[in-house]
Amino acid sequence: MQGIETIIVQLLVSVFSPEQINAFLGDPRTVAVIVGSMVAASGALLGTFLLLRRMSLTTDAISHTILLGIVASFLFMVFVLGVEPDLSSPLLVIGAALAGVATVLLTEAIQRSGLVKADAALGLAFPLLFSIGVLLIARFTSNIHLDADSVMVGEIGLAWTNANSYCLERCDPVVITPDDPRAETSRICTNCERDAISPRSSQAVFETACANCGTYSAAEAWRLRLIPEAPVLVYFPRAIGVMSVITLINLLFVGLFYKELKLSTFDQGLARSLGFRPGWLHYGLMILVSIAAVGAFDAVGSILVVAFFVIPAAAAYLLTDRLAPMLALAILIGVVGAYSGYDLARGTLFGIIQISDVLVLLDRVIGLGGQTTWDSSISASMVLTTFMLFVLAWVFSPRYGLIANFARRRWQRQEFAHQVLLAHLYNHGDQPEERAEASLHEHFRWSRERMRWVLSGVRAQQWVAVEGGLVTLTERGAHEVLDFRKTNLQVQ
Amino acid sequence: MGAHRFSDEITTSLQRVAFEKSVSWVVAGAILLIVAVPLFSIEWTHTLRTVVLGGAVLGVVCGALGSFAVLRQQSLLGDALAHTALPGIAIAFLVSGRSLPALLLGAGVAGWIGVLLIRALTTTTRLKQDSAMAIVLSSFFALGLALLAYIQGRGDASQAGLKSFIFGQAAAIVERDVVVLALVGGAVLLVMIAFWKEFKLITFDPEFAHTVVLRARAIDLVLSLLIVIAIVLGLQLAGVVLMVGMLIAPAVAARQFTSRMEPMVLLAAALGGLAGGGGAFVSGLDAGLPTGPLIVVAAVSLAFVALAVAPGRGVIWTWLAERRDRRNFAAQNVLSDLYRHCLSHDDPMQITDESMLVNLRGDAARIALRQLQREGLVHGDGRLWRLTNAGVDAARRLEM
Amino acid sequence: MAVHIASDALSISAPTTRLNTGKSSFEVEDLTVAYNSRPALWDVDLRVPEGVLMAIVGPNGAGKSTLIKAALGLIPRAAGEARFFGKSYEQARQLVGYVPQRGSVDWDFPTTVLDVVMMGRYGRLGWLRRPTKRDRDAALAALEQVGLSAFAKRQISQLSGGQQQRTFLARALVQEAQLYFMDEPFAAVDAVTERAIVTLLQTLRANNKTVIVVHHDLQTVPEYFDWVTLLNVEIIATGPVSETFTDENLHRTYGGRVGALTAAPEAAGA
Repeated sequence: MQGIETIIVQLLVSVFSPEQINAFLGDPRTVAVIVGSMVAASGALLGTFLLLRRMSLTTDAISHTILLGIVASFLFMVFVLGVEPDLSSPLLVIGAALAGVATVLLTEAIQRSGLVKADAALGLAFPLLFSIGVLLIARFTSNIHLDADSVMVGEIGLAWTNANSYCLERCDPVVITPDDPRAETSRICTNCERDAISPRSSQAVFETACANCGTYSAAEAWRLRLIPEAPVLVYFPRAIGVMSVITLINLLFVGLFYKELKLSTFDQGLARSLGFRPGWLHYGLMILVSIAAVGAFDAVGSILVVAFFVIPAAAAYLLTDRLAPMLALAILIGVVGAYSGYDLARGTLFGIIQISDVLVLLDRVIGLGGQTTWDSSISASMVLTTFMLFVLAWVFSPRYGLIANFARRRWQRQEFAHQVLLAHLYNHGDQPEERAEASLHEHFRWSRERMRWVLSGVRAQQWVAVEGGLVTLTERGAHEVLDFRKTNLQVQ
Repeated sequence: MGAHRFSDEITTSLQRVAFEKSVSWVVAGAILLIVAVPLFSIEWTHTLRTVVLGGAVLGVVCGALGSFAVLRQQSLLGDALAHTALPGIAIAFLVSGRSLPALLLGAGVAGWIGVLLIRALTTTTRLKQDSAMAIVLSSFFALGLALLAYIQGRGDASQAGLKSFIFGQAAAIVERDVVVLALVGGAVLLVMIAFWKEFKLITFDPEFAHTVVLRARAIDLVLSLLIVIAIVLGLQLAGVVLMVGMLIAPAVAARQFTSRMEPMVLLAAALGGLAGGGGAFVSGLDAGLPTGPLIVVAAVSLAFVALAVAPGRGVIWTWLAERRDRRNFAAQNVLSDLYRHCLSHDDPMQITDESMLVNLRGDAARIALRQLQREGLVHGDGRLWRLTNAGVDAARRLEM
Repeated sequence: MAVHIASDALSISAPTTRLNTGKSSFEVEDLTVAYNSRPALWDVDLRVPEGVLMAIVGPNGAGKSTLIKAALGLIPRAAGEARFFGKSYEQARQLVGYVPQRGSVDWDFPTTVLDVVMMGRYGRLGWLRRPTKRDRDAALAALEQVGLSAFAKRQISQLSGGQQQRTFLARALVQEAQLYFMDEPFAAVDAVTERAIVTLLQTLRANNKTVIVVHHDLQTVPEYFDWVTLLNVEIIATGPVSETFTDENLHRTYGGRVGALTAAPEAAGA
């Protein structure tokens, strides 16, 4: 993990000056957007397959239960290994991955017993594991850096503060020895207390103790003002490092197994018969979901993660039929959502609407206690903007959107109604009472208005003629009936 | 033979029903006892009593209506609904302050909108139900969190109670709340009892129900509404995140102990009340613990125990029964092997070497021989075996 | 007897004389049902006289179940109406019994056989009223009639497929209807159940009830039924079995595969 971070830093340094880098990565907004985009990108990559495999809710369950894995690993590190835990520790990732797989296995086991339906199986497994996690946090919250708030929404807004430093110049470590002028030394009487004598006594034995001796990295030395001149440091937020690695792993996985994933997603049976192992891919996918969720946990908490997996993929699914464009669109939507989400949290929606204006208006109407500044959760706002993008796709998608659908349905209903009328006239051509214009609507249980509308449609096509209150099929109309019959009726 | 087995089947089935009944009573009694013991050893403050009473009432309502959610296979819809209630709670708070009826109304309306949105997504797009639920629940939940963050920014003192809706906090229930909860919960249960047979029919066979029941659509709507109310009521106790556990775990547990709907709903209500009251009790003693996870751990563990040990149905029972069947089958096979060996030598007392049977049937033959020996059908010294007279008779019956 | 036949010939006035034998029990007029603008039923006209046993046959996807469900208002109609003894379904609800497909419910539901049969009385009882002893006796009598008395207290998951089907039939019997709709009652049942259903159908006809059955086994049609409707999205033919169940009509219903179908009727099954 560290290796990849170093490579990124080296790349950055070779292009930009340290000041530029620090200004860039020291900006809360930039860091939050970068981290959010990477969470969204890796979520979208996996989410596309999860959506197509109808496993969206399994993702939801996993993103909940990795909490137990994280807490358990935390406690293990604190109480068994006695080390200070860190959210980028590999142990944590392993713990979370185990918890994720355990959820899936537990659910499948409950389902296999045949005693409980699939929905209830999931509804039992993840609340239990999540509850245990929450209780452990509530009990040990004083010992570890984890609390209910960060479980809910994460700390993407603070991601920039938790950074590793990389030294570029004046990097020599500083060694302080007791004879160094910077050493803070003091003389301590070693036998005064034991022998109950005064330090002024001649029998007192003294030793020189040094309070700050040791080796310091250049960054630490500068912080303690042990060196006169600042070393040139580059600060690199850890969250970016962690998410880069996770995004890379996901990219590699999808890139390497694209063919297999595609095949096993659309046809499990065929994949198996061709010698692929859908089971392996299935659990591999689950492990990657767990890992991505752990990475995202620090940033966006445990409950909102599922949004980054499902919503961009769903929006893309409404826009395209092909897998590769769907992946690309999902990533794009996720990234745009993350980008505009930060602004929403700070009070601007897509650069158009100022939330505070809305609040002022609302305050006047219903009374909000006068608070008209909007400063909200960043991760929640990222989910909201992504959802708004999804709604846009839902409404305006050229092929599957609400508007396109509505127009098509309306057209189809009209066409269909025409055919219903023509078929009736065809079948009852010899019964004048079935063809009377005035009572025709009664046969279909249609309103007079609808009947008039349908009739004018078929007359415009010259499929019928109206003479003396009787509606009669024309030659052209009869052909139309037979054409329709040929293409639409008679199964098999 | 057919008649014999048929009557046998009926008797065992009747015996099993009676046995199941007695076992479920014993289990229920034992649970009550275990829970009741610590109740006498602590001091009951007024607050604690209020909180426990409130928890128990909510548990009963959720347990009863949860049974319908489980049987209608809408468990996860319940989960989605609970999550989507959060923004409703926040908006209700913004509009009217911390009044419980307003918060419940807000939660109910938002939950209902969420469910309608899920339905709209599944009917107007090619998204499947699971994706639609994940989309709606996560974005509504995010809206709720964003609103909570805004409310928190107001520095309003009474907003403290709002956060308890996320993981549940029984301690937030005050006496006035209990009255409201009991009234609404009681009304829900009354409607459930009044329309019992309609609800049962529409849950079991919706299609048939629509052909026989007057205004089946309205009945369907009322039942959905009751489930929504139960979920909304339970939110304060279990929280939006874990509500699904409290809703379905008592029902799943109860289902394992009975095969009829009336006792199932009764038992689920009792277990729900127990889990709700117990969870409220523990978190009432130790305010640091959120109630939702306590209840869910208790209720889901109970459900898992039920899945394992439920008489005649649980995993352990099935496993034992399968093992018994396997062994009986192996014993029958070995018995016929011995018999055929006898036939081939034309001597009913023909001695057979155990190793031959093991070659034929595997190691199971050893166990089968010991079992046959216990039943007095074979006679042997652990290496050489022959059929007894009873064994010959039994084998002959088998061959017929 | 003229039979309503939709002609394939290009004639503007197709020969359509309405069937008119006594009172009709079930009547469908201009019924059209569409799934996503694709016709599942197309301008169906049907009149079923009282007291007949009628089979609805046709290939898979021909709209047999759809016809029943649309008539009972379970799925929306694009056009047309259905009448039962001259009344709308809302008015005639008490006169109509329905046996849905066995696979349409969860047989692991926690309830007993007797309970399921009692459900047939719920429509008669109306809201709020509890079943009485009379309803219980009716249910037990119906179970007797289908040979399931010994199973009354059983949990329904313990039933075989045939027994499940007979439970559904018993439930319809306690509806005490004049007209019954049965959706594939013969699908995948054992010989005992098949016999029981046939006996039941004959008892019903002896009591002048009308029974309309979605059926898929062409070979048994002449044996079990006296009336038949051949359906393939449109009505191909309807009338007495002796006149309607002809090779020509079957050919028009099933296309070129009719020979194979009468030889191996399973091929047409669900």
